Amino acid sequence: MLENKTNFDTDKLLDEVLLAEPEFTLPDNFAGMVAEKVGQRFAWEQYVKEFLIYLAVIVGIVAVSAGMALIWFEADWKAWFNFLTSNMAMVAAANFLLVFILFADKVLLRYFMYKSTTD
Amino acid sequence: MKDGELVQQVLNGNNNAFRFLVSKYQRLVLHVVGRMVGQQAEVEDICQEVFIKVFKTLKRFRGDSKLSTWIATIAYNTAITHIRKQKRRGEVSYNEQPALIGMEVDSGLNQKIIEKEEAKKYLLQLIETLPVNYRTVLTLFHLEEFSYKEIEEITGMPEGTIKSYLSRARKILKGKIEKVVRLEQTNIFADYA
Repeated sequence: MLENKTNFDTDKLLDEVLLAEPEFTLPDNFAGMVAEKVGQRFAWEQYVKEFLIYLAVIVGIVAVSAGMALIWFEADWKAWFNFLTSNMAMVAAANFLLVFILFADKVLLRYFMYKSTTD
Repeated sequence: MKDGELVQQVLNGNNNAFRFLVSKYQRLVLHVVGRMVGQQAEVEDICQEVFIKVFKTLKRFRGDSKLSTWIATIAYNTAITHIRKQKRRGEVSYNEQPALIGMEVDSGLNQKIIEKEEAKKYLLQLIETLPVNYRTVLTLFHLEEFSYKEIEEITGMPEGTIKSYLSRARKILKGKIEKVVRLEQTNIFADYA
């Protein structure tokens, strides 16, 4: 009789405890913090995507122009090749600079502007 | 707002929609992660990680299951990965198998259990000592009221295993509290008669 009563009580107590909230907490502004972090990440990804599209368009235009010059205007590709190989460092630096300027304009500046408005 | 619309808004880059999603499901994530990891210091970072993963993978959510189930799955997997990492670093003893039946109850705690509230606190502490799979299914089933099918989807455990874990976890907790009651010979359950 006593055993049965104890079992019943224990079940009831257990049910209450299992429905009790665990003692873990998150800051009050947790949703805001996470949304801000995710917003910044979303903005960064968006800007990088746009930068890559710009880059692809520029590379495409350059490639098509070079192709047209070689095919229709009979440009001397050997002279181009010689120029590129003999000025490799300068050509690489110029390309790097142009890509960096584009990256800074399309990604970095926009991202930091966005970040400064949300922080 | 329905979950489908909410997901679409988030995918369109609406930051307020994501904020709403986080507020709506942070309690669920906190419960799953908290119960599994068991350390307040790490809970916030892991919860953040969960929601960042939710954001990154949201485009893969097809609506086959409820959004809550899908988020709980991410929370479960993130917490499991964290526990395994800790285990590899030797910071925690990750016990996936039950080994508690017959374990002696801490005598220091026994002395303190004299009232109902303390009994509850003691039981909550006991839950934290259960193997992680037991704690997880208890939380998902009782606290979050997921069905067996949904828990199966979240954890990848077969339904039979879930039922078995639930029943064994209850048995362990019941056994321990009854043992304490017998030891103390106090009527801490008077209010429950």
